[in-house]
Amino acid sequence: MGFTTVLSLARYLFYIILLVPVAVGVVGVMLPAVGFFPALEQHSLSSEPITRLLAYPGIAKMAGLSLFTALLATLIAFIGTVALLAQFYQRKWLGLIQHGLSPVLAIPHAAAAIAVAFLLAPSGGAARVSAAVTSTALPDTDSLMYDSFGLVIVLALAIKELPFMLLMALGILSQPSVKQRLEGQMRVAQSLGYCHQTSFLKIVFAQLYRQLRLPILAVLAYASASVEIPLILGPQNPPTLAVAIVQWFNYTDLSMRFQASAAAILQVLVTLAAVTVWLIGEKIWQWRFCQQLASGNRRWGSVFVKLLAGILLVCFTLATILLVLSMVGYSVAGYWPFPDLAPVQLTLLHWRSALQALSQPISNTLIMGFVSTSIAVILVLLFLENEQQSDIKRASTSLADKLLFIPLMVPGVAFLYGLVWVRQWLFADALWVPVILAHLIYVIPYVFLSLAVAYRQLDVRYVHVASSLGKSPCQIFLSVKLPILFAPIMVALALGAAISFGQYLPTLLVSGGRLATVTTEAVAIASGASRRLTAVYALMQMLLPLLGFVLAWWLPTFLFNPAKRANASAKRNPAC
Amino acid sequence: MTLSKMCIIGLLCWAGLTGQVSATTVQFFGWGGSPQVNQYLQWVSKQTQARYDITVNHVKLADTSDAVTRVLAEKAAGNLANGSIDLLWINGENFAAMKQSHLLLSDWAGQLPNFALTQPDKNPSMRMDFGVATDGQEAPWGKAAMVFYYNQQQLSSPPTSLAELLDFARQHPGRFAYPLPDDFLGISFLKYAALALNPTRQQLLYQPVTDHALTRITQPLFDYLDTLHPLLWQQGEFFVRQASMLQQLFSDNEILLAFSFTAAEIPAAVSRFDLPKATRTYAMSDGSLSNVHFVAIPFNSARANAAKKVANFLLSPEAQAYKQRLDVWGDETVLAIDALPAAQQKLFQVQSHSSALAPGAYQKLLAEPHASWAPALRKAWYARYGARL
Amino acid sequence: MLVLEDVAIQLKSQILLQVNAVIKPGEIVTLMGPSGVGKSSVLAAIAGLLPETFRLSGKIILNQHNITNMPAHLRHTGLLYQDALLFEHLDVTGNIVFAMPGKKHRDKKQYARQLLEQVGLGEMAQRPVSTLSGGQASRVSLVRTLASEPAALLLDEPFSKLDSATRHSTRQWVFEKIREAGLPALLVTHDEEDAAATGDKIIKV
Repeated sequence: MGFTTVLSLARYLFYIILLVPVAVGVVGVMLPAVGFFPALEQHSLSSEPITRLLAYPGIAKMAGLSLFTALLATLIAFIGTVALLAQFYQRKWLGLIQHGLSPVLAIPHAAAAIAVAFLLAPSGGAARVSAAVTSTALPDTDSLMYDSFGLVIVLALAIKELPFMLLMALGILSQPSVKQRLEGQMRVAQSLGYCHQTSFLKIVFAQLYRQLRLPILAVLAYASASVEIPLILGPQNPPTLAVAIVQWFNYTDLSMRFQASAAAILQVLVTLAAVTVWLIGEKIWQWRFCQQLASGNRRWGSVFVKLLAGILLVCFTLATILLVLSMVGYSVAGYWPFPDLAPVQLTLLHWRSALQALSQPISNTLIMGFVSTSIAVILVLLFLENEQQSDIKRASTSLADKLLFIPLMVPGVAFLYGLVWVRQWLFADALWVPVILAHLIYVIPYVFLSLAVAYRQLDVRYVHVASSLGKSPCQIFLSVKLPILFAPIMVALALGAAISFGQYLPTLLVSGGRLATVTTEAVAIASGASRRLTAVYALMQMLLPLLGFVLAWWLPTFLFNPAKRANASAKRNPAC
Repeated sequence: MTLSKMCIIGLLCWAGLTGQVSATTVQFFGWGGSPQVNQYLQWVSKQTQARYDITVNHVKLADTSDAVTRVLAEKAAGNLANGSIDLLWINGENFAAMKQSHLLLSDWAGQLPNFALTQPDKNPSMRMDFGVATDGQEAPWGKAAMVFYYNQQQLSSPPTSLAELLDFARQHPGRFAYPLPDDFLGISFLKYAALALNPTRQQLLYQPVTDHALTRITQPLFDYLDTLHPLLWQQGEFFVRQASMLQQLFSDNEILLAFSFTAAEIPAAVSRFDLPKATRTYAMSDGSLSNVHFVAIPFNSARANAAKKVANFLLSPEAQAYKQRLDVWGDETVLAIDALPAAQQKLFQVQSHSSALAPGAYQKLLAEPHASWAPALRKAWYARYGARL
Repeated sequence: MLVLEDVAIQLKSQILLQVNAVIKPGEIVTLMGPSGVGKSSVLAAIAGLLPETFRLSGKIILNQHNITNMPAHLRHTGLLYQDALLFEHLDVTGNIVFAMPGKKHRDKKQYARQLLEQVGLGEMAQRPVSTLSGGQASRVSLVRTLASEPAALLLDEPFSKLDSATRHSTRQWVFEKIREAGLPALLVTHDEEDAAATGDKIIKV
């Protein structure tokens, strides 16, 4: 099989995995939305589910809540990202922040929600600290959580999104070609009298945003339909639309499936609306920003950036410390009554019973993460290579970038339920294949997002030189491009694995619950009574992906890096 | 390594992972929120492996209705003989829904050798699930009744009736909660209140619901709840979705009174540090709602025979006695202990625990209302207090 | 010998430039002109790397073979840019070993060191490429290209990023090596000094 054949096969496979399951799943949900559901003896089309849904009390509020929380969270995360970058770009702190925030990226949404609940509950970490000051005996009866505007949802979503955006932005900024150019431009701007932050905002940010837009829209779309966070932290009268959909699908009264399916279609529209609002906001901002660019104001935004970046850092650090302390605390706690800051006694009981129960789920999680991520990375690399080889760059680039969004845009609640039917029908016996496929639907887009920028911006002259040295396209791919892109590939692997680790609905629904992973077990146990066991599970959920990221940072310093190796050997032999 | 080699290795890895699960693995679907139950099922699996070479894989559900959805989807997709669920922990409404949609295997439970040990002729609740005849579609597994618990250090005399509960709520606003009626314990609380508030009309609740009966029953119920709700945790604005959350709230003193359907989980949670040492369990004087929980086999299970063997083992004196141990699960047995041989009766002797329910504490057991009442009460509740999801 | 017969580069329907040239072994022909006329495109066309938006007409003949439509990696046309473009994941020796064709040299590493020593760069063999100075990198880059045993050399402003002192010596050194190797070379530059230093034919466009 020739290299070209492999590449074009990979291209087709890429599109098939991205689109077919989603399309089939959506059809599987749309049919009940128009009243067609043979399993419940409904064979004729009707608009009843839709009219019933629209007549449902509070449906507009649900949609509005989804829209509001997603947009606000994304805006906060975005402004935070820009502020941190503007303040710390080209400074030492940036590396520290990157390493500090990346673990948060790896935390599955469910674990993040559990953690925030640990922190904000009336008897949570924050309350205990304040109770220590005010010496209250009983926890407050008022709670920060479950507010009807979903502000806690916004907070949790923003905490999850910010590291993702920041990491994506840093990925773009660390491209050798981009880095050099932008650093030069930063120097020029500063020499023209613009202060550091303003230079970043007016020069770097403007160029960065174009590439950052896709990841931003992806998180926005995800946020508008996310289930775990609003389920654990959000209000219930009414909840966000996605939560309502999941609840309706789970109703014992099977006829609710119709309404749930109609709501799933509405969810797609809500997600589209969120994206549209963002794009309109972008246009307004652009217009405003162009005026600002010409204003000549050399300190524009600098105070705001300094302040915001500072506040963010302090809050994030404090919250993280409290969070980790309370999770670790609970995981080893004996009795721990309310106002006490530390448990009365410590025990390893919870870890023991968790590890005993988790050995199978952990190995399932690792296998699933490894296989799906490896397939995704190989497929994405081949796809990107095909794009460069066949010189169909422009058309294909925009097409791939748009299609990529389909699995991210079409809310999981909309197509996964439909997909379960297909699995029944096609893979009645297979267990791993359908689950890995379902994971791939989510892993591929993120892997693509994190690899595409690096791949497309690889200096093409390296390829030209190698090919003038007599190397075939296949050889260039394997021994020039892959090693040069080793670091971004490792990051993509870690990200892909983290995405795979965090999948709850796809794993549960597609495997029919027969494949237990750390995440499915954690969500199940979070519905149980033991906060201590929940803490252990949530910590496990954080540790596994973290391991992946540590490897991703560590490996590139040793592999394909003669400079580091030389340093290391020089250190060993100071005489040389 | 060339690319084609990489592809081949990839394919091999892929193929290696597609293997089917062993034919003697019974897929047991059941709520997975309780560590004790999960550990008990691991013990069960070891036992059945040793005895029948059958592995029991516990698929932990956050909600039993997920499994109902699953069987329904399988039926819709035409999977009639190779379903993914072999055994399902179920009762009440989920059973009624599955029975109505013909999703369960019939006439097998009565033929299990150990079923006779429950003395079904003397104990009609072995063949009735919330007023619906089981028709041999499910085998009894355990028994439960509603108990309340409180922290002795925070509360000296807990309320012992529904009327006292309201007084308690007035004295301690925000310190009591009950789950949404979607939750098993939530709807159970409503049923308990409905029974306790309608002492003269209780028989209405044991017949299929009618509009008239519903109005009569809910009138005193809603009067009561209207007064209670503003005094609840979060002023009744937010209800916990799952019963188990009550235990967490209680453990942190956010609420001072909680209740449960498994008396034994309270001393077990105290031993696991999940509840304070000063926790005490008691039964209400105006009655304790009680019911039986079952295991069922979906119509399309591929391993129905193995599932029956497991169900029979679950009913064996050994498995039932182990299950009843407070340090294991503490779930009350469905066997008629008095009729067992003396040696087996010995297996069921209980240990004492200061947080456990005292023997003979139940003053009055209230049977579950007819299964049609749960959806009716739930619907009426949501209509009155808003659609909470 | 590298022969360009009516080689013309078209963008849309407009001809950017047309070149006729015969470059003998050891000869360094200069293609000179202002930026943006398509000088580099001629080099790309010879190397087989012309983007598809451009159209090529005419014939390119290298050592009696018509290579006009041959895939780039089979043409044996060594390419040097203003940046050395050494692969940073390999050290200096690694870069040279990478360039060596097929399995011809049994001990490629040792042969690479020999090559480096021959040109007086023996000490650099183990160095990571990121530690080289501009002039050193240019030289290593040429050694790498020569190690691939090309049939012709294409130089695209190879000295424009060097400072004037290094530039002079590097240029001398590079031209010397090309003549020693007896390769036909085409140099694209807008610098009069570069052109003059070749002492060979100059094509102005």
